[in-house]
Amino acid sequence: MQRRDFLKISAAGGAAAALEGCGNPDHQLIRFIPEEDLIPGLATWKPSICTLCPAGCGTLVRVMQGEAEVVRNGQLGILKMGLPKKIEGNPAHPINQGKLCPRGQAGLQVTYHPDRIKTPLARSGPRGSGQFKEITWDDALKQLVSQLTALQASKEEGRLSFLTSPLRGQRRTVLDNFVSAFKSAPPIEFEFFDNQVIRSANSQSFGYAALPTIDLGQSNYVISFGADFLGTWNSPVAQSIGYGHMRKGRPGQRAKFVQVESRVSQTGASADEFVPCPPGAEGMFALSLAHVILRDKLRPAASAGHAGSLIDGWAQGLPDYAPEKVEKQIGVPSTTIARIAREAAATAPAVALIGDAATAQTNGLFNALAVNALNSLLGSVGKPGGISFSPSWNSRPAASEANKGAANSIQKLAAQLQSGSDAAKVLLLYNANPVFATPAAWGVREAIEKVPFIASFGSFIDETSALGDLILPDHSPLESWLDDVPPSGSARTVVSLAPPAMNPLHNTRSMPDVLLDVAHQLGGDVAKALPWKTYDETLKATFTTLHKEKGSQSAKDPDEFWKKAQEQGGWWSADEKPLAPVAGKSSGSPMKNTAPQFDGSPEAFPFHFLPFASQMFYDGSLAHLPWMQEAPDPLSTVMWGTWIEINPRTAEKLNIQQGDVVEVASQHGKLQAPALVTPSIAPDVIAMPIGQGHENFTRYASGRGANPISILAPTTVVETGALAWAATRVKLARIGEGKIVMFGGSLTEQSPELKHR
Amino acid sequence: MAHQWGMVIDLDRCTGCEACVVACHAENNISTVGEDEAARGRAKHWIRVERYYEGEFPDVKTKFMPVLCQQCDAAPCEPVCPTFASYHTSEGLNGQVYNRCIGTRYCANACPYNVRFFNFYNPAWEKPLHLQLNPDVSVRSVGVMEKCTFCVQRIKAGEIQAAAEKRVVKDGEIQPACVQSCPTKAMVFGDLSDPQSEVSRLARSNRATKLLGELGTLPKVTYLQRDSWHGGEDS
Repeated sequence: MQRRDFLKISAAGGAAAALEGCGNPDHQLIRFIPEEDLIPGLATWKPSICTLCPAGCGTLVRVMQGEAEVVRNGQLGILKMGLPKKIEGNPAHPINQGKLCPRGQAGLQVTYHPDRIKTPLARSGPRGSGQFKEITWDDALKQLVSQLTALQASKEEGRLSFLTSPLRGQRRTVLDNFVSAFKSAPPIEFEFFDNQVIRSANSQSFGYAALPTIDLGQSNYVISFGADFLGTWNSPVAQSIGYGHMRKGRPGQRAKFVQVESRVSQTGASADEFVPCPPGAEGMFALSLAHVILRDKLRPAASAGHAGSLIDGWAQGLPDYAPEKVEKQIGVPSTTIARIAREAAATAPAVALIGDAATAQTNGLFNALAVNALNSLLGSVGKPGGISFSPSWNSRPAASEANKGAANSIQKLAAQLQSGSDAAKVLLLYNANPVFATPAAWGVREAIEKVPFIASFGSFIDETSALGDLILPDHSPLESWLDDVPPSGSARTVVSLAPPAMNPLHNTRSMPDVLLDVAHQLGGDVAKALPWKTYDETLKATFTTLHKEKGSQSAKDPDEFWKKAQEQGGWWSADEKPLAPVAGKSSGSPMKNTAPQFDGSPEAFPFHFLPFASQMFYDGSLAHLPWMQEAPDPLSTVMWGTWIEINPRTAEKLNIQQGDVVEVASQHGKLQAPALVTPSIAPDVIAMPIGQGHENFTRYASGRGANPISILAPTTVVETGALAWAATRVKLARIGEGKIVMFGGSLTEQSPELKHR
Repeated sequence: MAHQWGMVIDLDRCTGCEACVVACHAENNISTVGEDEAARGRAKHWIRVERYYEGEFPDVKTKFMPVLCQQCDAAPCEPVCPTFASYHTSEGLNGQVYNRCIGTRYCANACPYNVRFFNFYNPAWEKPLHLQLNPDVSVRSVGVMEKCTFCVQRIKAGEIQAAAEKRVVKDGEIQPACVQSCPTKAMVFGDLSDPQSEVSRLARSNRATKLLGELGTLPKVTYLQRDSWHGGEDS
């Protein structure tokens, strides 16, 4: 025994002995000897990785000494320990270069959340009742292992299902090894904003099933079709850095930014020109621009290469998309279309982007392919000021192919569970909340309820983990070994790595460590496939293979490399080597546009329903953070609530005033929320942020607002099976007076200083 | 000469993302007040993003403008304070001495920018959220007015560090939390008494304007107005 350990034990024992007999034992707190050396008042900065969205920004965590109530060896006590006080961007990290978005800033509250699950739990009431009792880790692991050995004994290994958010890096490897050695069903990856349509389109057009990396900083003309690239889409911090540069980072040179969508999004709000476009007509609009460029011989048709050949009529100059014809269908003047086309062609480098609602239509894949073709025609693919694809390292194309058909498979899972044949007997949940984030019409809740045994690794009880039988709480990200291979946002190869920024507060265990432990207890092939004792061992084993590559640090041996990478927050290549496009695989003949299909007839359901990513809550997974709840939404300034955006003309017709409670009904459900009358939305569209409407997600989010996903039609993008989440039609009715909490007060006013611009 | 801290906010870069708003909460121990108090106008955001719509869909123009304490040189909040809790520091900040404040709220009434916030209750953090508190910033109790300090704790730390190293504070070395987080680099902080500093250089821009400058408050925050595209067929 080391002297330090001896001191720790004797101090703990001594303190406990001294407190004995001092009244209520519940109030006795033991004082532990600090586990690390810290100087009071001095901050140290530790690298970490933001895990709150898929962008994968690198962070620096400001750690200072503080006193926390913690549990050690089953005893509650007070410990002087390093406590994270602030999260900043890591200036050395190629993705976010020292910057961070509001969500990343709030990451602290995930760790310190009062409703975090502090110890393993076993269900003690009926399923979904939310009644759990605390159990030990030994008991919890025993339960899980016995469930898994029972599957092995009855040769039903395939009836183990893993339902997870898309994983990258070594977590992915650990999971894959586990799954293949156990011979369970392939993991089902689920996230609401899975960008699967864009990956599919990019795979066909450019040969990479990945999100693009956009070189906005060097671009002179940007046309975005619905992509909220400054708020929530793709790699928003990296894109915002580029945006700042394209606006004012180059003296005398300022790009033009055109946004095409049916509701002014947070990104659209910064556009120089806003062009209204009916939902689903984005591809038609893009091809109309291409038509003008071809017609006026500003670029030869062949310059679009393979991406152009995927579009029906490309070689003939897209005769169906003359601006005069398109004007009749989408209402945008042909002169506007022609002007934008000529501007874009004359102002190189010009880049086109597509994302979010524009791809969440039944014809979403066509829209994305059309924009890809336009991009190729503009000549910006794989060039400075355009789009490229981030080089990946070693691994599978980070979260790309693997993620294909994610929404598809959750739908399949639901169907399979409902049918009963080969249905999962054991379901393991990790960081995914499909009960909240799938349309009620898919029946995911009902399907999951049928699984005989469900274990969740989540840190919080949410709508899905509430159905669990066993909760094995994960460390918070700041308490965990983290690694990541961001799929976009930098032209360098980026492999992020971070040791824990703090010791764990609660009686939790890191999910990959638990998986390794379970594998060893199972023995046999599974143990052989996961030979590492701890997760950081697996990280070191793969990470140090990088040490001879030319990159952000040089080291004489793998050990030194490993140490340096931990100090810096990872490794990134010295050179920018974005992947240039190659001819992708396409499915036979060139694609024709089909008119977007919407669920519900225009007569009975007169409005398009547009759910959108919330700047604060993203897909709803951050609604439990009080800083996010109280931060005013950038456009509506609403705090602690939700709202339904309605054009003033529509509101007038339906006699709806600001803050009135309105009911939105689709063919699949209805919800109520306060009305926000705003000039930022088309009269035939109503919009609603995703994020609120949690039934069960901590004290801050439960029972607050309504969830737009719940009333969506189960309509899918035809070719890929992804949820077409912007293809539902709804009707709208005023219910009565209500209230809406806004920080900014009245919505339309003149800015005092800015009116003359 | 003493430093004169100032800020420039480039509205052509600002996207209204509110990273500054949350960064400020995290840095300065600003308590959340909850839905009911927020509905009564008691939410405390030392920096906010104002959003302006002009026109009707689809010809609607949207503008964002982050507003924080303008650290006025002729600050209306200072002379009205009966206890000298609001005072002018030698480095040009509108200081707020919490333990002098008796909560008359005259300063908030006098301020034309609506950037002062009153603590109607003692702040509370549900355990263990209190562990997020920054030990460098005091927590304000009930009856006390609070506002943006330009992250004075960071300014002091930077000045002390520079003094210890026997050098002057380098331009850009000190960053308030909002500036540090801003993804588009719309916010620049620095010493206005140094004509070579980035903030001084930007404040001389022909896009420079002051918020409600006609009131004579002499703000030390300068806004650079949104620009427009200079190319195209109509120019």
